[in-house]
Amino acid sequence: MTERAFPSASGLAETRPKYVGKPVQRLEDPRLLTGAGRYAADIRLDRMVHAAFARSDQAHARIVSIDTDAARELPGVIGVFMAQDFPDLPAIIAPSRMRDYRATACAPLARDKVRYVGEPLAVVVATDRYIAEDALALIAVEWEPLDVAADPETALAGDAPLLHEELGTNLLFERVFETGEPDAAMRDAPLRVSGRFRMHRKSPLAMEPRCYVAEPDRARDALTLYGSTQVPGIIRDALTGLLGLPGSRIRVVAPDVGGGFGGKGSLYPEEIMVCVLARRLGRPVKWTSDRLEDLTSTSQGFDEIIDAELGFDTDGNLLALTGTVVGDVGAYSIYPWTAALEPVQVVSFLPGPYRIPHYRGAVRGVATPKPPTGPYRGVGRPAAVFVIERLIDMAAAKLGIDPADMRRANLVRAGEFPHRIGSGLVWDRSGFIECLDAACETVGYNELRTTQAEARAAGRWFGIGIASYAELTGIGSRISVAPGMPINTGTETASVRIDSTGAVTAVFAVASHGQSLETTLAQIVAEELGVRPQDVRIVHGDSAATSHGTGTYASRSAVLGGGAAILTARTLRDKVKRVASHLLEAGVEDIETGDGHVFVRGTDHGVSFAELAHAVYSDMKALPADKREILEAMETFDPVTGTTASATHIAAVEIDPGTLSVRIHRYVVAEDCGRLINPLVVDGQVHGGVAQGIGAALLEELRFDEAGQLLTASLADYTVPSAVEVPSMEVTHVETELPGNPGGFRGMGEGGAIGAPAAIANAISDALAPLGIEVSELPVTPERLFRLVQAVLGKGGRT
Amino acid sequence: MKPAAFEYVRAASLAEALAALDHDDAKVIAGGQSLVPMMNFRLAQPARLVDINAIPDLNRIEDAGTHVVIGALVRHAQAMCSDLLAARFPVVAEAMAHVAHLAIRNRGSIGGSLAHADPSAEWPLVVALLDGEIVVAGPDGERTAAAEDFFVAPLVTDLAEDEIVVAVRLPVPPAGCGMAFDEMSRRAGDFAIVSAGALVRVEDGVFAQVRLALGGVGDGPVRARAFEDALVGKPATPQAIAGCLDFAVEDLEPESDLHASAEYRLHLVGVLSGRVLERALARASGSAS
Repeated sequence: MTERAFPSASGLAETRPKYVGKPVQRLEDPRLLTGAGRYAADIRLDRMVHAAFARSDQAHARIVSIDTDAARELPGVIGVFMAQDFPDLPAIIAPSRMRDYRATACAPLARDKVRYVGEPLAVVVATDRYIAEDALALIAVEWEPLDVAADPETALAGDAPLLHEELGTNLLFERVFETGEPDAAMRDAPLRVSGRFRMHRKSPLAMEPRCYVAEPDRARDALTLYGSTQVPGIIRDALTGLLGLPGSRIRVVAPDVGGGFGGKGSLYPEEIMVCVLARRLGRPVKWTSDRLEDLTSTSQGFDEIIDAELGFDTDGNLLALTGTVVGDVGAYSIYPWTAALEPVQVVSFLPGPYRIPHYRGAVRGVATPKPPTGPYRGVGRPAAVFVIERLIDMAAAKLGIDPADMRRANLVRAGEFPHRIGSGLVWDRSGFIECLDAACETVGYNELRTTQAEARAAGRWFGIGIASYAELTGIGSRISVAPGMPINTGTETASVRIDSTGAVTAVFAVASHGQSLETTLAQIVAEELGVRPQDVRIVHGDSAATSHGTGTYASRSAVLGGGAAILTARTLRDKVKRVASHLLEAGVEDIETGDGHVFVRGTDHGVSFAELAHAVYSDMKALPADKREILEAMETFDPVTGTTASATHIAAVEIDPGTLSVRIHRYVVAEDCGRLINPLVVDGQVHGGVAQGIGAALLEELRFDEAGQLLTASLADYTVPSAVEVPSMEVTHVETELPGNPGGFRGMGEGGAIGAPAAIANAISDALAPLGIEVSELPVTPERLFRLVQAVLGKGGRT
Repeated sequence: MKPAAFEYVRAASLAEALAALDHDDAKVIAGGQSLVPMMNFRLAQPARLVDINAIPDLNRIEDAGTHVVIGALVRHAQAMCSDLLAARFPVVAEAMAHVAHLAIRNRGSIGGSLAHADPSAEWPLVVALLDGEIVVAGPDGERTAAAEDFFVAPLVTDLAEDEIVVAVRLPVPPAGCGMAFDEMSRRAGDFAIVSAGALVRVEDGVFAQVRLALGGVGDGPVRARAFEDALVGKPATPQAIAGCLDFAVEDLEPESDLHASAEYRLHLVGVLSGRVLERALARASGSAS
């Protein structure tokens, strides 16, 4: 089901080709699929040396001594460095304007104590990585172990060991959102459902582990950092402060990047250290994370305990919602997002796309001796949606109402936008009910319920789960992506130029790490300017190419980058038309562009972009001096608040009553990201997001023991879905118009991962409804299912 | 994740390989699918690797009439596609489909899987189920070991440091046997939480021969002898299988680990044993039904 409500971008009934909305093949694929891509690990520079980090094997301990003598003597070792070798290097501190926020200081190499297993202690630099790792084995550390409170609720107790003694508490922040009178409304509600929900810790687990190469330039006293990062602009800005160099002498380049999912969106100790070492040694320094380091030192995601209650009346109207969240932040507050990013988003989004008049969401972030958490695809919303969607299903079951009808009755409707939810977020117009209806239609909801009834009658455990959600994407300058974070992530500036050969180059500060931005941004520029997508070179991921920019995260790049592309290409098109008007002796209003040509509408009288560029730049007789335009434009786009994206996911699952394995039988997504730029790319993002959501629902969990040791430290134990575990998906699009936004684009990079955990949790609960089992902990591993089923059926169970 | 330095010897013959193994901390490498990851984690740091891939004749599957001999260098994928094995032991291909992924099945060798001795691995279970013998070469010549003697503990065998697994001999069971294999793992290709293999023969409507082998529940593959003895002579029916299943779990003491508790493993033993036995029964010729 596709609702098309867009006039052509320019409002003109032009004949030139349209690219936005078309399934244009990805322009980056020939490079990436033939091995011609260039990732950070592919970079080899003259005189380059290799770093390897000695890491803590203790979760919480004082460093008594580090003996590096034997390591230094190993042939091939250039140096072994510790915190004391860089007395002037500041700690990483992620500041926040949030009231009572307690910032943590994270030294790039641990100074007096360590706070998680995997924290960098020392770094070896050697002529190759093998020797560097040989040297690591020769470093001896003497520890004074300290008490460990690995569980976040234990860490909040008054007598808990303090991770950061100077803060006097492990509580890093707390915040409450309240609307109406939640206590009274809950008390008076005729019916209530509640539960304690647990979302376990995950790893972003990009295919490409993190890698950094720092190249010093002694002539200019400058530095280039090639890094697998989502945020080259943020890293550049942070490094200027840490290294004491102006931005003009630090360049951060994100070459081809093999996935990020949030894990490459923060500033890392290793990133700083390769820069510092390159300057100290006067040689390029490279560090590549191995998979073990990726699982222990790349930022982790989720990890919340959520107590929530939903009050409603006998007609199914939602009355009140309360949620109390304890977020396990890990050892440090990550830069620049702060410790508040993930846990606060849980309470910000808990009311979901529903009308709920009374709300209170309270959240506390707790420091624990585990790796720092950071942004992970979905940020807070996978947990929030899991909880509210479970509660909605529990309420529907209590009332005997179909879960789809329960949602249809409470979703914010077309005439009710903008709608402010209890946490203060405002939904602009989005197809909440339209997505629900489209998903039900695609899956054949009524027939599926009949199939389920037949399966149940035959003793099979077959369930259907729905998850509807809304998210704020493409966030503008009025809202901070992370609460209280003092950097601007709400604007994006594009520059587009036509060079003296007529070729088009468009420069952005976003940084693609798999989102197809080279294709989608080229589609937009091509359509607005009147060339073909393959004629537009997209430059991105290079801090030296722009004055300001951050990168790609938070479902922002299509909205902000796409908006900036439209505004900039239009400005440049106007310049092209003015020049052409003079060359072709026609009025500006009669000039049209398309397919790399500029011509008088309705005629074959025209010039190519190459000829027009020649006239402007080279043939000094073609135009009078005052008609020569600079064929460049630069515009900034700011969506101010942001745009609402929404979707409904429906999963049908069957559980093997004997082995308790879960098979996903159907998976349907109906999503509204506004106007599609490229349906292939949107579908791909949905597929990837759902795959990660399946991981969160069924498979992936970073498990720690009571001493804070990571137990799932390899991909044999940290189980991500493979192709076999990911079903075919049916994706349908609802394109709700977005007035006041130049492209009508909404962000959708995270959505798949937001809906899937809830939809699958609801489907499993539905399958087990005859046993009265509710899923409240994710992932639902076979072992957890076994325990839930055993509790009801007793020993023996079903075979 | 780089291995420590090691010496590498590529042996052209079994004699060369055995000579090269006479060295401190020498380790045989064939497909490397278990050893190389352990070396990269530096959990294994052999001083010398003896590569046996170039030794002729170890990659053959041979029909010896009463039994089939599978060379140690036969790859999982090769065994999975073997017509001879499919005809004699269809359970092999059924089990091989659960061995990791295509790329690993193309490289990983049978000898390596047996010598690595993961208690959840498919080959040790298949050898135990089929009453196979592992052929081992050493400085003093060849010897054979039954599965129950060869697998000593998780990742531990009775293989001496100077010995090499050269083949496995599988006796051909009587005609009419039905066989089946199944396992439960977190994901396709993961090590089994529990695996089960069954072989049954039916005569005159009763179970004349029963074998049940279990993986993931002990030090190595486990034959459920008490269950086998209990079922022999009973009517060849699913009800009889179900009635004896308690015998399958009675002496087991599986460990709890990250992926499964001992209780869940015991539950799976009952579930999977029942399934493979019913399937084997359905495949046996002359079954009661």
